[in-house]
Amino acid sequence: MSEMLPYIAGLLRDVLSGIPHLMPELILACTFIVVILTDLFFKGKDSAATFWLCLTGLTASFAVTLLPSHQSQSGHLIFGNTLFADRLSIVFKQIFYFVILFFAVFVKFSPQFRKHSKGAGDLYILLPVILLGLNLMSMASSLLLIYLSVEMISIASYLMVGYVSGTSRQTEAAMKYVLFGSACSAMMLYGMSLLYAFTGTLNVAEPQFLQRLSQMPSLAGNVAVGLVLVGIGFKLSFVPLHFWSPDVYEGAPTTVTAFLSTGPKIAGFAILVRFTESLSPQGGGMPVFDFQGVLSAVAILSMLAGNFTAVWQDNIKRMLAYSSIGHTGFILMAVIVHSQQGLKPLLFYLLIYAIMNMAAFILAGRIEDQTGAVSIREYKGLGRYMKLEMVCFVVILISLTGLPPLAGFMAKFLVFSSVLENYSVTHSGWLLALLITAAVTTVVSLFYYFKVPLNAFLRQSEGKPVAPVKPDFLSVIILILTSLLLLWGIFPGLIA
Amino acid sequence: MSLLSTLIFLPLLAGVLILVMPSAWQSRFKYVALGTIVIQIVLSAFMYMNFNADLAGVSDQNKFQLVERLPWISIDLGGLGKLQIDYFLGIDGFSMPLLVLTSIVMLVAVLASWEIKTNLKGYFALFLLLDTAVMGVFSSLDFFLFYIFYELMLLPLYFLIGMWGGVRREYAAIKFFLYTLLGSVFMLLVIIGLYFSVTDPKTGSHTFNMLAMMDPANYTAGSIFSVVSKQMLLGVPARLLGFIVLFVAFAIKVPVVPLHTWLPDAHVEAPTPVSIILAGILLKIGGYGILRICFSIFPDAAVQSSWWLGLIGVVSILYGGLNALAQTDLKRLIAYSSVSHMGFVLLGIASVTPEGISGGMMQMISHGFLSSMLFFLVGVLYSRVHDRQIPNFRGLALLMPKYTAFVMIGFFASLGLPGFSAFIAEAFSLIGAFTSENVNGFLPRWMAVCGSVGILLSAGYLLWTLQRMFFGETRLMGGEEWKLALTDVNPREVIALSVLAFLGVLLGVMPSLAFEKMNSAVLELIRLVNPQ
Repeated sequence: MSEMLPYIAGLLRDVLSGIPHLMPELILACTFIVVILTDLFFKGKDSAATFWLCLTGLTASFAVTLLPSHQSQSGHLIFGNTLFADRLSIVFKQIFYFVILFFAVFVKFSPQFRKHSKGAGDLYILLPVILLGLNLMSMASSLLLIYLSVEMISIASYLMVGYVSGTSRQTEAAMKYVLFGSACSAMMLYGMSLLYAFTGTLNVAEPQFLQRLSQMPSLAGNVAVGLVLVGIGFKLSFVPLHFWSPDVYEGAPTTVTAFLSTGPKIAGFAILVRFTESLSPQGGGMPVFDFQGVLSAVAILSMLAGNFTAVWQDNIKRMLAYSSIGHTGFILMAVIVHSQQGLKPLLFYLLIYAIMNMAAFILAGRIEDQTGAVSIREYKGLGRYMKLEMVCFVVILISLTGLPPLAGFMAKFLVFSSVLENYSVTHSGWLLALLITAAVTTVVSLFYYFKVPLNAFLRQSEGKPVAPVKPDFLSVIILILTSLLLLWGIFPGLIA
Repeated sequence: MSLLSTLIFLPLLAGVLILVMPSAWQSRFKYVALGTIVIQIVLSAFMYMNFNADLAGVSDQNKFQLVERLPWISIDLGGLGKLQIDYFLGIDGFSMPLLVLTSIVMLVAVLASWEIKTNLKGYFALFLLLDTAVMGVFSSLDFFLFYIFYELMLLPLYFLIGMWGGVRREYAAIKFFLYTLLGSVFMLLVIIGLYFSVTDPKTGSHTFNMLAMMDPANYTAGSIFSVVSKQMLLGVPARLLGFIVLFVAFAIKVPVVPLHTWLPDAHVEAPTPVSIILAGILLKIGGYGILRICFSIFPDAAVQSSWWLGLIGVVSILYGGLNALAQTDLKRLIAYSSVSHMGFVLLGIASVTPEGISGGMMQMISHGFLSSMLFFLVGVLYSRVHDRQIPNFRGLALLMPKYTAFVMIGFFASLGLPGFSAFIAEAFSLIGAFTSENVNGFLPRWMAVCGSVGILLSAGYLLWTLQRMFFGETRLMGGEEWKLALTDVNPREVIALSVLAFLGVLLGVMPSLAFEKMNSAVLELIRLVNPQ
């Protein structure tokens, strides 16, 4: 023990110097504890106190990321080289905050949770933890932390998916999610243990990680990296690890689905970017793992499977689930070319994707709450009764398709641009195949997205007319999100 | 605010105004729309009067008129460099006549919209949005801006066809949308490819400026679409592939056989005003795009493929005409006649002669007026008895004499009777195609000969229809009930039809009104495409 003494001072100094970078996460941890206690003892009506406390904590952590002192830090590693503290992670944290914020508001207004006997209090407790997990995912540089943060999100997600499981369908969704998730994370853990065995370090950012890995037989290295990709792929739900997502998205409460399709996915991309970056040799050299080939194949398959399967769906949530698999494939294009081109197109797409998908699921949920319509066929004639909702829904779907003048188009445009620019340098056949697939699937996606306006506006309702819906706070939020899509579509420069 | 921006965004503002007006005032919406279009006509008349016909335009910004250029989008993309997009408008001899055409056809369409009875707020808002998009397409000189307006057209059209259309409107609306989007998504890839290939000589950064794309000197050496480096894409020269992709995108709009199958469905299912806009304006965007973009940006590939373009044009003329002969639905017949008549545009353009391109442009303008007139006439009939099957009518001339007079003007003008605009247009296109073999050797003579058979065909189907529906003893499918319903044209319809008939005759008698304005642009384009 005593021989370790000289190191303690250094370790302490390292920890202390890292603390300012971790302020947002520390605030979240404290919020978590305070919120638990509050919800136990003075939760207020409908857990209002819990809600507001939780929101305050989240906002405080966000505010810290805005501080100039926090902004100015250039990228470096903290906490014994286990966490990245850089500009990228801050941007991701800011996106996560907004995702969680909207999620919280949606939960607050969801009748499903409000009417539930447990109340929504327990769910509010989860929010700071989830944000903490997401933040750590965007920062993690050590394999162990990657695993821990992924699991943190997974466990919280399992709880949320099963939160109101009233029907057997919801229970099935929750079970499926847990089983699939645990299997994937077990594989990831196995892959990580192999990587540790091969390289002797857990830290992917260290040079020796790559160096030793490249000395291993290529099969061994590929298997290990591939297994880790399985774990990340579960979060991203790309083909062939997408089987869980339609069932879970359909079975989970819609608000939770809105979160699942955005937060963890974006965090998954954060990890994927870090992981591919650390495994791509700087300045030439043999790559340990053919990321371009594997990710391109996965992206093409995801785009094809997601978009083509979505055409046959009638349940709106399943359709959106498949569409989000298609979008994963599209975003993977940005990851594949990111190293040369910077991350702007990727981040822009992720931000816009988060807004579009959250808004789409929330609208689907709202329509379900008001009219009971879960399949697109039941949307017949709804355009007359839910004007605001349906017009916003159409705008969001147009943006998801990627048509101008909406932000979804700008996002697609930027990704296309970066891939084409990369192609003109490398002339890689993969990139050309990606571009063509992406273009074709965009047209396919129009077909299923437009089933919504087709039914809502072009067809007449058969059954009884629905009572007109009064606008409330949620309508305002939906309207704001929709206007943001329009505003950023016309003036994308506003997102600095 | 300058003239072009006003022209583009005035309808948008009016559309927003209609959206915020209370629904109780819905009987006034059409007057708001009408007022907007009238202002638009005044503005475009002013533009026409003040247009300096000596300035050629085409590839030189200084020779464009009413130029507006403002920085619009500017994003720093790190490794990708800075994304710089301009709000860049301007007109030359190609776009100005089409802008004037648009405002006049829009007036007719608004007058035809009197028949629309349901959900007026949505209808007029979408109608005016469409107007904005079309005006934008014809005036943008920045490719990105062009694309935005180009895509913006699709949404209002989808809803206009889908919500106010006929029985099979759902099918027609989505088919139209999918066809056009398939073309334009690949167009987007070519646009991005061009962006990375071209640098603005002034700023040294990449640009979407169409005019910069027309100058081979602006292409970066070794870039995808560079004129010199001759890169290959998928085994095809990259510039040829780029040309083909853009051509297909616009050819879907024109439409040319075999990409035309959306058109009969869309026209037949669309409500009358939308059919008028589709035939009168939107088809012209295809022709305009081929001139402004395909030919100007990829002149080398255009020359290389002109034989094929001519062939496609001839096939469209003949196939459209033969199909029209076989139709029993009057609206479908006119839709196929549009395919046939737009084939002349392509044939004329492919000849790359001054006569041919002027004739093609003239055919676009003339067809804009005449097809609007024909669709309006069908609308008149359909609004009265909700039927337009040719065999169900006979001897309408006795019942509706004024209507029949307009039909005769419309039909004779369309089949190319001398004295009407279509005669001049088709004659010039054919002369262009005919002389092409001597002048530049692009098109063989037999194409011109086959094209002229198309005129014969159109005489066939139009006169036969005239005879079947309007002459002879009055016999109607719906009996007495129809007889009462079939009242002659009312003053509103007379105004709309007279405007179109007058313009059809005017351009036939004094074609110089249009030729004069576009002549220098046509010559400049030919110099650009075929410098010998």
